[in-house]
Parts: sequence; C-alpha cells; structure tokens
Amino acid sequence: MNARMLELVVGPLRAMMRATLWWSIGLAALVAGTISVWPAFKGSSGISQAIDQLPSGVVQAFGLADFGTPAGFLRANLYDFFVPLLIVIAAVVLANGQTASEEASGRLELYLAQPIDRRVALLCRAIAALVAIMAITVVLLVAQLASDAAVGLNIDTGYVLSTIILCALLGALHGSLAVAIAGVRARPSIVLGAGIGVAIAGCVVASLFPLSSVLAPWRHISPWDWAFGGNPLDHATELWRYAALAVPSVILTAIGVFAVARRDISGA
Amino acid sequence: MDGAEAVIQIDGLVKHYGKVEAVRGIDLRVARGEVFGFLGPNGSGKSTTIRCLLGLLRPTAGTIGAFGLDSIRDGVALRRRLTYVPGELRLPDRLSGMDFVASIGRLRGGFDPARRDQLAERLRLDLGRHLRDLSSGNRRKVALLLAFLFDAELLVLDEPTNGLDPLMQHEFLGMVREARSAGATVFLSSHSLSEVQRAADRVAVLRTGRVVAQGSVAELRGRARQRIEVWFEDDPPEAELKALPDMVDPVVDDHRFKATLSGSIQPLLELLARNRVSSMLVEEPDLEEAFLDLYDGETV
Repeated sequence: MNARMLELVVGPLRAMMRATLWWSIGLAALVAGTISVWPAFKGSSGISQAIDQLPSGVVQAFGLADFGTPAGFLRANLYDFFVPLLIVIAAVVLANGQTASEEASGRLELYLAQPIDRRVALLCRAIAALVAIMAITVVLLVAQLASDAAVGLNIDTGYVLSTIILCALLGALHGSLAVAIAGVRARPSIVLGAGIGVAIAGCVVASLFPLSSVLAPWRHISPWDWAFGGNPLDHATELWRYAALAVPSVILTAIGVFAVARRDISGA
Repeated sequence: MDGAEAVIQIDGLVKHYGKVEAVRGIDLRVARGEVFGFLGPNGSGKSTTIRCLLGLLRPTAGTIGAFGLDSIRDGVALRRRLTYVPGELRLPDRLSGMDFVASIGRLRGGFDPARRDQLAERLRLDLGRHLRDLSSGNRRKVALLLAFLFDAELLVLDEPTNGLDPLMQHEFLGMVREARSAGATVFLSSHSLSEVQRAADRVAVLRTGRVVAQGSVAELRGRARQRIEVWFEDDPPEAELKALPDMVDPVVDDHRFKATLSGSIQPLLELLARNRVSSMLVEEPDLEEAFLDLYDGETV
C-alpha cells in the first residue's frame, strides 16, 4: 500500500476515531455490566424452572433456553440480539458516515478533486470502516474475556472468539451493503434506512420464522441464521458460516466500487 | 486564441440533471498561460462545467478535458496537473488547517512546507486553528492556499474570492498574476465582474448553459453600449442625430444631446465634426455593462 492509499484509509480512520471509541466503550460496558450479574444466575434452579413455565415459542424466540448455563446466559442477554445488532448498526453508521454522508455534505469534493480514483477512495473508506469495526470487536472480546474471568463465567474461549468474529462479519456484511448503496447513490437516509432495515428484518426472520412450521425453512435466508444458526457459543463454527458472511461482503463492496465510477459525484 | 496551445478543450458539452438542462452545448478553448475568465450569474452553468472538467460529473454529451486528457477516462492524470477551489466550499471541520493541508499534501505526493508557511503568512491565515472555528473567508483562504501550494499547471478557481475582504481580493489577484507569470493557466470562474476584468486575458460569458460571448476583455467591452452626452454651442442637429445608426434612446434637451451607443462611434464623430461642440462625455463601459447588455437577450 503506497502513501497515497495509506492516507485514503488513515484519514477516514482518524475521522472515525471518536465514534469508534464510544462504540467500543458502550459495548464493553454492556458486556461487563451484563456479565457482572452472572453469579446471581449461576446454577440457579429457580430461574430455569421459571423459564420452563414459559411457552416453548417464547423461550426459542428470545433465546432463553439453557439460561442457567454460561452459553445460554450469554446468548439470551448478549449474543442472540443486542451485541450483533449494535455492531451492525455501528457498521452501517460508520460506513454511511464515510461515504454517502460525506459526499452529500460536499466534504468529499475537494478530496475527489485530487489525483485519486474515486473507486479507490470508496474502497479505502470501506476498508477504514471495516478496520473500525474490527477495533470495536477486539475491545468487545477483551471486555468479554476479562469479565468472564472476573466473575468465573466458564466458557470455551474459542467459542467466544468465534461468536465475536461472526458478529464482526455480520457487521461487515451490513456495512458493505451500506457501501454498495452509497456507491449507487449518495443519499444518507436511504443508506441508513436500508442498512438498518435489512439488519432488523434479518434478525426477525432468524428469531421468529423458526416458530412457524411453514416459515421455518425460510429462516436460512437471514444472515443472522448464517452467523448464529449453529449456536457458536456451544459448538465449533463451520467454516462455511464465515464464508457466507465474508463473500457477500466482498461482492457488495465491489458493487459499490463499480457503481461509484459510473455516476455523478454529489455537490454541496 | 491566436493558435496558441489549448490547455482546456470543451467540445459540445451538455449536462442535464434529469429534466434540468444545466449546460446546453459549450465549446471553449483556453490557451496555455492565459488567465481565462468564466463569467455568468448563479445558475448559468459555470460550476457544472468546472465539475465536469474535474471528472466529478459525467457529461450528458460532448467532451471536456485538459492537456489532451479526457476528464472521465484520464481523470487521475488530469487532476494531477491541476488544483481546484470549489465554489461551494465544505471542509472537514474536525481537522486543523495544518492537518488538512498535510492530508491533501499526502494525497498529492508532498509539498514544500516553507511555501505553505509563506502562503499562510501572505493570506494572513492561522493554520493552527480548527477548520470549524474559521470564518467563511478564512476557510476560503485555506482552499486558496492549497490551490497555489502545488505549482499546478492549471488552476481552476470557482468563485475564489467569495467571503474575502477587499485587501485579500487584491492579494489574490497578485497571486493569480504571479502564477500566470510562472507559466500556469488560470481558469477563473466568477460573477464578480471587476475581479475578472482586472485579472483575465480572455473571457467567456455564460447564460442559461450557453456561451453568449467570448473574447478578450477589451473586445467584450468594445461590444458594449456606451453612454454619450454632447453639449452643442448652437441648437443640436436633432434629425441627423436621431438618424445615426446604433443610437438607442436619443434625447435632445436644449443644447444637450444624450443617447446610448450600441455600435461604432465613428458616424457620430463625423457628424460632430461638422458642428460646434462645447463639451462631450463618453462613458467607457466596464464589463458590468457589457455583461448586462448580453443579458438583454441577444447572443453575441
């Protein structure tokens, strides 16, 4: 990577530094705060019995099964919904902020008037957003492992690592969707709406479709199912799940890069 | 252009935004080493043309480029040889002026820090301050500093003095002249007529997406109407005066004749030579009058 390309990545990274920091702190606090109550649930038969009284659909939809186990506790409180959704939102917001939002505000104009290819500029901004998401998930991983150790939550570190990597890849997929849309058209509201809308739809499909025998087979259309359908906190994750998230991310980014060269750049 | 090498070539440029026809067929040549004024009111297509030149917009029809390079196909190579001041200036607020200049410098492959400091001093610009804390005039100075920092062969300046005080406008004109002396070509878009009049060698005037006049500043002024007032010692030859060609709104009032002349002054001078004239006033048009005249509706 030459100095020009390095600047095209590092410049946006500097711009995202504060947001990245706050997302990291927020997620780390969520994880640490949630895990701090684990000792109260650890081995509690009362909680398990209470959950057993709930309809099986509710237990399944909210991931409450095995709530008294470390994996079940983490799944229900963090990794079935909150953490992946927050990472996805962070990815969409950061990708939008460095692409469609920058362009629509006119701040990209002076950069694109320099001797750089706009496709390279967009690609480098996508890479910068990916690096920011990776930084957030590294902080998340550290917070998770430190909290586990602090309260004696015993869970396979490899499974935790797999789960957090899947969260990062799910974020990358939705961030890439944002980049693809921004490449086609620099409308921040559309990029944000589509990115977050697809994420919520995917989450709903993965959570609720299994409750219906008719809809259950369709849960596999959701990236959330690709990521977490194999219970990564309980089992080793199949390699195809990583690929199912990573490959479309590359394709979506390529679509954005391809499209941005074929349209006008928005002015202020 | 007198056969000089063209730096900017625009052929049949058309740019539509949906149903809006922003540029409706522009042909233009800008010669190496000249300061070319690109005049027109807001919405006449100046900024659209410039953004096409930079490859930010894709022409609907026609071609535009510089140094023999096409703005779309050879955009990177073209932009390596020019610098640009946007008309609508949006800078990254979070950076200091120094950091922003450094960032653009890294994208362009470096610059001379001594020259940066010299330009900042000349423009009375504090680069240490955050861009968000700068006034619009000082933000404009940051963009001007960048335009003059890299020894570009072509400077594309879109409304470059917006927000600058008169002293800085004067300084800017000095910088343009120096760049021209150093061999640079300057494409100066403005609706400030006095600015273009003082800086440009040649001018194109745009109106609703078309070039309505093109030539040297002197030529354009020559085409303009002139205000004539003549005081006769005797009664003015009213019928002969009113019969002169290109005389607009002629008025005879006692010993005074007043009119606006839209053509050659020679027939009037020949008539006056046959009469006793006590005084005469010919107001030389500034570009403003030439400009407004063009907007009366006639394409020149």
